[in-house]
Amino acid sequence: MMDYDLPKTSLMAIIEVQNLCKHYPTPGKKGETFAAVDDISLSIEKGEIFGILGPNGAGKTTTLEMLEGLTDIDSGSAMIDGIDVQSTPYKVKEIIGVQLQANEYFDNLSISELLILFGNLYGKKIDSENLLGKVNLIDKAKAKPDSLSGGQKQRFSIACALVNEPKVLFLDEPTTGLDPQAKRNLWDLVRNLNSDGMTIVLTTHNMHEAESLCQRIAIMDHGKIVAEDTPQNLILKHAPEAPVAPLHGNIEDVFLAITGRALRD
Amino acid sequence: MLTKVQLHLAIVFLKIFLRDRQSIFFSLFFPIIFMTVFGFVDRSSVGTINIGIINESADSSAIEFIQELIDNPVFSVTVGLQDRLRPQLEKGEQTLVIIIPKEFDTTRKGTSLRVLVDAAQVRQLGLILPVLEQSLVEIEREFLDIEPMFNLIIEDVKARSQNYLDFLLPGLIAFTLMQLSIAGSGFNIVEFRRKGILKRLFVTPIEPRDFIASIVMARMTIVLVQLSVLITYAMLVLDVTFVGSLPSFYLIIVFGTFIFLCLGFCLGSIAKTQQAVMAIGNIVIFPQIFLSGVFYPIESMPEFIQPIAHVLPLSFISTGMREIAINGASLTDITPSLIGIAVWFVLSFVLATRLFVWKEVAS
Repeated sequence: MMDYDLPKTSLMAIIEVQNLCKHYPTPGKKGETFAAVDDISLSIEKGEIFGILGPNGAGKTTTLEMLEGLTDIDSGSAMIDGIDVQSTPYKVKEIIGVQLQANEYFDNLSISELLILFGNLYGKKIDSENLLGKVNLIDKAKAKPDSLSGGQKQRFSIACALVNEPKVLFLDEPTTGLDPQAKRNLWDLVRNLNSDGMTIVLTTHNMHEAESLCQRIAIMDHGKIVAEDTPQNLILKHAPEAPVAPLHGNIEDVFLAITGRALRD
Repeated sequence: MLTKVQLHLAIVFLKIFLRDRQSIFFSLFFPIIFMTVFGFVDRSSVGTINIGIINESADSSAIEFIQELIDNPVFSVTVGLQDRLRPQLEKGEQTLVIIIPKEFDTTRKGTSLRVLVDAAQVRQLGLILPVLEQSLVEIEREFLDIEPMFNLIIEDVKARSQNYLDFLLPGLIAFTLMQLSIAGSGFNIVEFRRKGILKRLFVTPIEPRDFIASIVMARMTIVLVQLSVLITYAMLVLDVTFVGSLPSFYLIIVFGTFIFLCLGFCLGSIAKTQQAVMAIGNIVIFPQIFLSGVFYPIESMPEFIQPIAHVLPLSFISTGMREIAINGASLTDITPSLIGIAVWFVLSFVLATRLFVWKEVAS
């Protein structure tokens, strides 16, 4: 009777972010800086799919990049699985998988060769067939990344991020630009990975994606987290009733209610 | 020293290069064409002067005279009839045409030979006429049985021929080495950054030194193979003379490649876009093409440029290589070049490691 040792909804945070800040020089104004990420704190639990929403320039990608060790942390702290990102970035890199927005790779290498290369970068011998099977690209093993469709490219990027069997998977706008079929296919993939216990942090502009895929959501604007909860709670709190027919609003209504309707670039 | 990751990455870079047939072709195409063209220009200019002979005489001395000219390596002789040789002269295929008259024999004195020339070829005459006269004098002496008072004995002290191509080969090798190395690190880094590959590599646990080491290894292999192809081609097909020690020559190639790979890393770290790297790359490459004694000796340049020209990295490399290739110099003979190479080696390495910072280069 060991069941109680493994609580189903563990409250163990795998990502712990406190007062994280990042300043960049203001474009066009010398000597001035602005806060791309402004004092945010987050706690993401093990086995969660956590979504970060926000208009362009809200600081989503910068936040991810700080967690991934790509961008220096100006102040505050970030811990992943108990490892401090700032002081031991290389240890963190061992246990995370990253899919970046840009998904181009070396020319002239097939996707299975690229997977083997990525495996080697972690000092791991990988079973490329098995990995490609996971992301449904087995028949493309010999193809070059250039010849893949948008959805296939994203799935391949995720496969690359899985070579080290990461504890946390970061996905930066994984479904941007995909058609509805490819999008849903990718959601299934993310759910499958999550059901195996992987923690997944993703950014998105797709409200439906956030609502149906993520267990919890943080909405960012101007470098700050302006709301954070489960999709259900956010709807009840910010958009309990839609202006017209539907019984209640959806996450898009929440998003617009919180971040306003002004156009961003 | 070398880790598994570095080795694997290096092999991957090699594989990428080997599959890029086009760039392999073009990186070899230019130097080969260049050498070949110079090889032929060279040979034909020191080579032969085409002359035509119309022989109307039946005397054996006329045959003897023609034989003299045929034996002379300066000329390529065509014996024929006027209606064939005249048009050839007009087309420029013959430099001049000599008409040996019917009365040409050794019994008479004061026979005139007519020489037809094209005015455009006149500047060659000064070279040809003395040879003609000399041949005639020799026949005359032989016939009259006179011993010449003076004899010229020509000895080649260098005991080997040296032409422009021999001079050019080391320079061209140095130049190709620079191009391949700078492109291999500098241009590739900018391309990898543009595609987001550097960023992607940066989120894996590999360190900058793994990346740098593997690029250096892969490029070094590529450069060595390509230069070997060029050297073999020059020696076997174009018959370029190489008198020095090949191991010493290759030692300089290895160091030179390292220097320009490092400078390439600097370039790739400074320049953020493909256009910028091309522009900055040209600032580095162009002056060296013209000032480093690749195509002609530094000593033939204006004096005020020479001090600058002498300290460029490519100058040390091409001078060192040339001394070895055409003068058979040993490594101790070229100590000044080696010191220059060593200084640039340290300088470029320190600069590259300072400038190539993962975080900045990747984003």
